[in-house]
Amino acid sequence: MTTKTGTNWVGAKYNRKEDHRLLTGKGRYLADLSMPGALHLVFVRSEQAHARIKKIDVSAAKKLPGVVTVLTGEDIKNKIKPMPQPVVQPALVAKYPRHWPLAVGKVKFHGEPIAVVVARDKYVAEDAAELIQAEYDPLPYIGDPEKALADKSNRVHEEWDDNIIFEMTFTGGADDASRAKNDAEVERIFKSADVVVRQRFRTHRCGMTPMETRGALMSWDDSDGLIAHVTTQRPHIDRLALSDILDIPAEKVRVIAPRDQGGGFGVKAPFYREPILVAYLARELKRPIRWVESRQEHLMAVSQERDQIHDIEIAASKDGKLLAMRNRGIADCGDGCEGVYWGFLMPFLGSVELPNAYDWPIGDVKLKVAVTNKSALSPARAFGELPTRFAMERAIDLVAKKCGMEPADFRRKNLVAHLPHTSITGEYFDSGDFLKVWDNLMAQVDLKGFRREQEAARKQGRYLGIGFGLGVELSGVASELLVPMESQPGYGAATVRVDPRAKVIVFEGDAPQGQGHETTVAQAVAGAFGIHPSDIVVTTGDTGTTPFGSGTIGARAGSYFISAAVMACAELKQKISRFMIHDLKIENATQDDFEFADGEIVYKKNSNIRKTFREMVERIIMAPINMPAGESGGLEHTAFFEAAKPMICFNADCAKVEVDIRTGQFKILNWTTSEDVGQIINPQIVEGQMQGAVIQGLSNTLFEQFIYDENGQQLTADFENYKLANAADVPDIKVTHAPTPCPYTPLGSRGIGEGRPSSVPGTITNAVCDALSPFGIEIAELPLRPNQIWQLIQNAKKKAAD
Amino acid sequence: MNKTVKITINGEIFEQSVPIRLLLSDFIREVAGLTGTHISCTYEGVCGACTVQLDGAAVKSCLMLATQADGHEVTTVEGLAKDGKLSPLQQAFNDHHALQCGFCTPGILMNMDEFLKKHPNPSDDEIRTGLIGNLCRCTGYAHIVDAVRDAAKRTR
Ligand code: FES
Ligand code: FES
Repeated sequence: MTTKTGTNWVGAKYNRKEDHRLLTGKGRYLADLSMPGALHLVFVRSEQAHARIKKIDVSAAKKLPGVVTVLTGEDIKNKIKPMPQPVVQPALVAKYPRHWPLAVGKVKFHGEPIAVVVARDKYVAEDAAELIQAEYDPLPYIGDPEKALADKSNRVHEEWDDNIIFEMTFTGGADDASRAKNDAEVERIFKSADVVVRQRFRTHRCGMTPMETRGALMSWDDSDGLIAHVTTQRPHIDRLALSDILDIPAEKVRVIAPRDQGGGFGVKAPFYREPILVAYLARELKRPIRWVESRQEHLMAVSQERDQIHDIEIAASKDGKLLAMRNRGIADCGDGCEGVYWGFLMPFLGSVELPNAYDWPIGDVKLKVAVTNKSALSPARAFGELPTRFAMERAIDLVAKKCGMEPADFRRKNLVAHLPHTSITGEYFDSGDFLKVWDNLMAQVDLKGFRREQEAARKQGRYLGIGFGLGVELSGVASELLVPMESQPGYGAATVRVDPRAKVIVFEGDAPQGQGHETTVAQAVAGAFGIHPSDIVVTTGDTGTTPFGSGTIGARAGSYFISAAVMACAELKQKISRFMIHDLKIENATQDDFEFADGEIVYKKNSNIRKTFREMVERIIMAPINMPAGESGGLEHTAFFEAAKPMICFNADCAKVEVDIRTGQFKILNWTTSEDVGQIINPQIVEGQMQGAVIQGLSNTLFEQFIYDENGQQLTADFENYKLANAADVPDIKVTHAPTPCPYTPLGSRGIGEGRPSSVPGTITNAVCDALSPFGIEIAELPLRPNQIWQLIQNAKKKAAD
Repeated sequence: MNKTVKITINGEIFEQSVPIRLLLSDFIREVAGLTGTHISCTYEGVCGACTVQLDGAAVKSCLMLATQADGHEVTTVEGLAKDGKLSPLQQAFNDHHALQCGFCTPGILMNMDEFLKKHPNPSDDEIRTGLIGNLCRCTGYAHIVDAVRDAAKRTR
């Protein structure tokens, strides 16, 4: 049998280790876990968007046989500390709304929890929830973010004096004087520029709702404390937060993210109010409590993002060089009651990432975030930046056209050509080659040939279009950003434990939800030790066994977690090498003189000197006698990885479409990408991330939309009305690569996938507008739907006729 | 109100008195303890995660009562692999990386297992149309289409 050698596992197609259990129905998701005697918890949610609670009558519910307890906000407000708590509060200057896990005094959005029912049977719990009667005094619904910003009399949070949760200037330095000077300079450039484009862009409320909803199963023991199984991307943060809020000593809280989670995409990253109640009741009742969120609750309470407006202005020279940009962003963050993110961190980061990969000499970027009577924005893959990428990629097309240039040529001319680079909003781009990625894309798409085809098609009354978009994305989130943004460390952590039979266990404190960490880290560790990935197992997400990690967020695995694991392996390999030198009495050897390959450890200067990995491992763990001076037995190491500066990855997209001008419907003819993901660990997993991300971006752009009516009733809280793309709705994506290994990670890998959907809405909308250029149609609002396109065509025809 | 039902799941008979309002999906998950059948849209019939086969035909188990399956044979995802060996369809899903979180996967397998019996040589368009009743949030579907196409080839 031939085995692969050394680091060849890194970069190899290797079928996922996770799959067997998931394909045979043996996955262990939250709803699959059980505890004897567990009670079922159900939330009752507000039917009003904004109202004072007059009375909540729970008497009938309490009488129903099988019901164990019913609680409202009044019952818990003196027993549970309100949020915010420091551990889930960013260091950014903002207002942090005080709230309890159940509404106290008034309700602030349609879907806010007002009561909770606990019963022995889940059907009975639902019956009891139906019997709860709430009486309200309605208050005016605050639904328009622009009006909310100006309104001081109607307030979502009455203890505030307005509806502004956060505002910030991102450009021009740290003090008022330098900002004023910067802004004046921007204004001067706009006054004298050859080409100026001004446009408002609006992205609709939508998100990344995963197929598995949220849930929790928790138990309490007076001596051991709380065991909390909860759907989460950040178990270690949840642990600290539960401990602080419920006053349970931290060593008595163990949070366990289920081994299998049915997607997260950011939605499972916040510290939400529901698990607080589950924990509280488990302790109060001293019985296990189980809550499995329904899809309807999920779509009412979470998964909503993207809700932003951008008034963007761009100045350029006639020969197509960007001179300056100005942006006034507004975001509608809902009620903002959500631990860690508070609804405004997404628009905050969106503004940071607005400049994208373009080389701006100067800019003036400001953002205001309003609270409204809607559910708080919760994070979604392409965190906060899908709206700003849409605005920027559309605006770049508008400027290019005004300069009389191909948008593709205009992009290339204005890409940042040399890295590292710090953007006008202060974002650091560490490494990579944007031009290489771009040129690879252009080599795939034959723009000139397409223009000829387009012209010929138009003569036959067919409307073809081509659109481009690009995105520079975070590869992990450095402490430099995560500490001020979320009061959390950015480092990746991994414990690597070699066992006496030469198998390896990797412990990860983050909590994946489908990204394939068990496979990719096994490949990296197999490469390091020269063993087979099947000899490696991974334990994730259990705060009782894993090192501290801030969570599976921001593409941290390929960048931070795997780097930490590789560092831990390197440390252990040096120890093993020192034992080799000692045991085999090798003269003048150093600990770096050994190669680990094919299950053996070979002395590089004389390959006759070798030992099997297993022999050495057994010797060090099981026979720790006659050791090198100063050594101890055992083979386990925890490493923490953090690059000195934040890291990025980069991608570009091209879409070709055909629009049917009679109906406004369009077909995506093809979609090609070009990616810099650095050193690939598993090509199939990378491909899967890209396919999935682009389709999520399309699904957001074309189909999904949360709709609130004029009274703040949310009309889209089910999959009938909140439509996700299905298989027949979307194309296959052609993914291509133009990688530059990251110099700051041990394998050269980059974290990928998180920001990847963000270039999609601009790309597809640019393609549709290109197809419709004979009508002069420029779309600035999402979702992108046939009825909108049809209407714009009618308007254009009418204008032409007049 | 309760009723005694007799449902065969993956060849094993479950005879049990159950509330008449008990959903088939809950019978499978909670009475039979087979948790491979998932709930995602919460009983709307839209997501397909709860798809099983009833007498060989793919059905959404959240849209049926347990009592309606009385006297019938149900196959769930746990019944696909024989003697510890993955079916060609399951193996193709592994080979083509057709699953990420895997939450949608059991329903997709149960639907496509029946689909391939009716369409031994499907086109990509037919596969995509056949998948309309199954939502997947992670994969973007392309790898699922690849896997189903390849499974058809392997089975032919
Ligand atoms: S849970 Fe049955 S179709 Fe969604
Ligand atoms: S693999 Fe996650 S929903 Fe399909």
